[in-house]
Amino acid sequence: MTDGPPPLVDEAQAPRVPTTLEPGPLPAPEPTGPPEARLTARQWVRQNLFATPFGSVLTIIMGLGLGYVLYRLAWFALVSSDWEIVRRNLRRFMVGGEYPEDQVWRLWAGLYVVGGLAGLLSGATVAHAEQQARASGREVVRPGRWDWIRRYWPALVVIAVILSQTRTWTPTLLTLLGAMVFASARWLGRRAPWLARFTWLALLVGAVASVQVVAGFGGVSWSDWGGLHLTLFVTVAGIALSFPFGVMVALGRRSSLPALRWVTVAYIEVIRGVPLVTLLFLGIYVIPLFFPNTVEPPSNLTRALIAVTLFEAAYVAETVRGGLQAIPRGQREAAEALGLSRWKVTRLIVLPQALRAVIPAMVGQFISLFKDTSLLQIIGFVELLEVARITVSQPAFLGQRLHTVTFAFVALVYWAGSYTMSRESRRLESRLGLGERR
Amino acid sequence: MSATDTPGPQDTDDLTAMAVEAQGTGEPIIECYQVDKWFGRFQALRDVTLTVGRQEVMVVIGPSGSGKSTFIRCINRLEEHDRGRIVVDGIELGNDLRRIAEVRREVGMVFQSFNLFPHLTVLDNITLGPRRVRRWPQRRAEQVAREMLETVHIPEQANKYPGQLSGGQQQRVAIARALAMQPKIMLFDEPTSALDPEMIAEVLDVMKELARTGMTMIVVTHEMGFAREVADRVVFMAEGSIVEVGTPEHFFQNPTEDRTKLFLSQIL
Repeated sequence: MTDGPPPLVDEAQAPRVPTTLEPGPLPAPEPTGPPEARLTARQWVRQNLFATPFGSVLTIIMGLGLGYVLYRLAWFALVSSDWEIVRRNLRRFMVGGEYPEDQVWRLWAGLYVVGGLAGLLSGATVAHAEQQARASGREVVRPGRWDWIRRYWPALVVIAVILSQTRTWTPTLLTLLGAMVFASARWLGRRAPWLARFTWLALLVGAVASVQVVAGFGGVSWSDWGGLHLTLFVTVAGIALSFPFGVMVALGRRSSLPALRWVTVAYIEVIRGVPLVTLLFLGIYVIPLFFPNTVEPPSNLTRALIAVTLFEAAYVAETVRGGLQAIPRGQREAAEALGLSRWKVTRLIVLPQALRAVIPAMVGQFISLFKDTSLLQIIGFVELLEVARITVSQPAFLGQRLHTVTFAFVALVYWAGSYTMSRESRRLESRLGLGERR
Repeated sequence: MSATDTPGPQDTDDLTAMAVEAQGTGEPIIECYQVDKWFGRFQALRDVTLTVGRQEVMVVIGPSGSGKSTFIRCINRLEEHDRGRIVVDGIELGNDLRRIAEVRREVGMVFQSFNLFPHLTVLDNITLGPRRVRRWPQRRAEQVAREMLETVHIPEQANKYPGQLSGGQQQRVAIARALAMQPKIMLFDEPTSALDPEMIAEVLDVMKELARTGMTMIVVTHEMGFAREVADRVVFMAEGSIVEVGTPEHFFQNPTEDRTKLFLSQIL
């Protein structure tokens, strides 16, 4: 069946369509566009899997290999493994071992603050964009009702896995409540497009509010944070701090002031020459030296965050610099010829284009930041991976070969976060790239 | 105009006289006096002295590398001149950023490669200057922008992105963008050199219409037809200096200088 010449397919009737790995929303074809290519399943298989003899052999080998791996994986996950260790330690995975049980409500409250604000902002942003599109006579593209499932399926799967390991229904109900908070906030946001103007302010307020809910008012001290909660906090805070700082460093590196240029180049080169672990140690032990005895030095978490931010910002700066260099000189000249000040030229013309160009590289950077937070365990933080390590060394679970289950669970969580970020970046890229074909 | 073959002091006087006698309304709006400009060790402009009158259309021609572009880029200080003086509408260009901004508000520029902002719609490209520099409210800026798009005959393209337009359309948007600032002077730096032949006419037509409205224009171009039809004066530059200045009739019928003749014979 696989030998012989490749089957002839009427090219005019069935033109070859590129296979897309990701079933993302494709732009709607224009009514007058080329005829839509519809392949039957049989045609698709023939053209993509058995087009040439060599391809057919590859397909069969890969298919057998993949099938075997999937079978073993499914057997492991569903039949042979005992998830008791994850079930028993779920709270530890989520918030760390030191987190007092009677304070967990604060995390839920913080989650609702974040969820409500996210809903409000996303609703307002969409409404604002639609308003703009309508005002300028562009077509309003609305996503389908269930597109969000396709969009966030990795994260949704992991949430479902986590909830399936809980022993009471409370977390599930609380999560559903959170979803309701988000949905109703989004409903409100859609009716208030003017909110979109205050996105940055709202994000700032949200960040302060959620941290206050968790840590303020006699809440849980930062030293007791742990687990996924700590990992996510360091990731989000690290991104939020290192992005603006990195952009500033990149601009400084291209400044016309030599002193500023030297300082930023020195900063970038020093930071890039040091591993993150070293920087974390330095952060813990060196930062207090800058504070006089009378002043209390910042907490360990703050120190770690400073180290992470300094580290990431150097890489962000180099990435952004690449984007800045890719902008043709004519762009700046045209804007200057209009009479715009240099700062406005940078802010309105150069930076938006440069940042757009480096979205993939930048998100890659942030994905590594997410995973690099696991290094915090070296300076004594009990983040997600460290929880896993502690868990498997508990006497109750010793010698039962439970490493695999535990680390598989942690890997799944990391994967969901990274893959969601990566998908969102691709989405952002294609949305911002619209109409920019040149 | 003297017809001597050997250049002498007499010629220089003639040239200076032609160069500083503003046409248009006769009232000078751009005055350049003994301007020199170097790029490293390469001298791009040598002793350029020229006066442009209000409502005058001046066409600058010359071989590539002759300093034409550098010259008009000095007028809105995209390039700094190293010696001499440039006064635009009563404002002398120097290192004072506020003065430079003031001049740039009054001087529009159109580039060879359009230089539209690809991340903004056509309308946003045009309203950017009025809103951010002139600080007009959005409504007024948009109204003016739509009028300018009418002027360049593409009102229907307002909500597209530059990447979706043809070269000729892009260049006309660039003209509209410059005009929306309501400048007193327009500089054109080889506006049709990057265009496909069939699109050159649509851009030149817009420029001709603009000239008819009495706009002061300096146009660097290789379009001799345009020069003949629209220019009040033609300037021929070579190796950074002005070689000859004259009316189009003088230029295309009996140019004085050998280099001018050579150049014209090469391109006509």
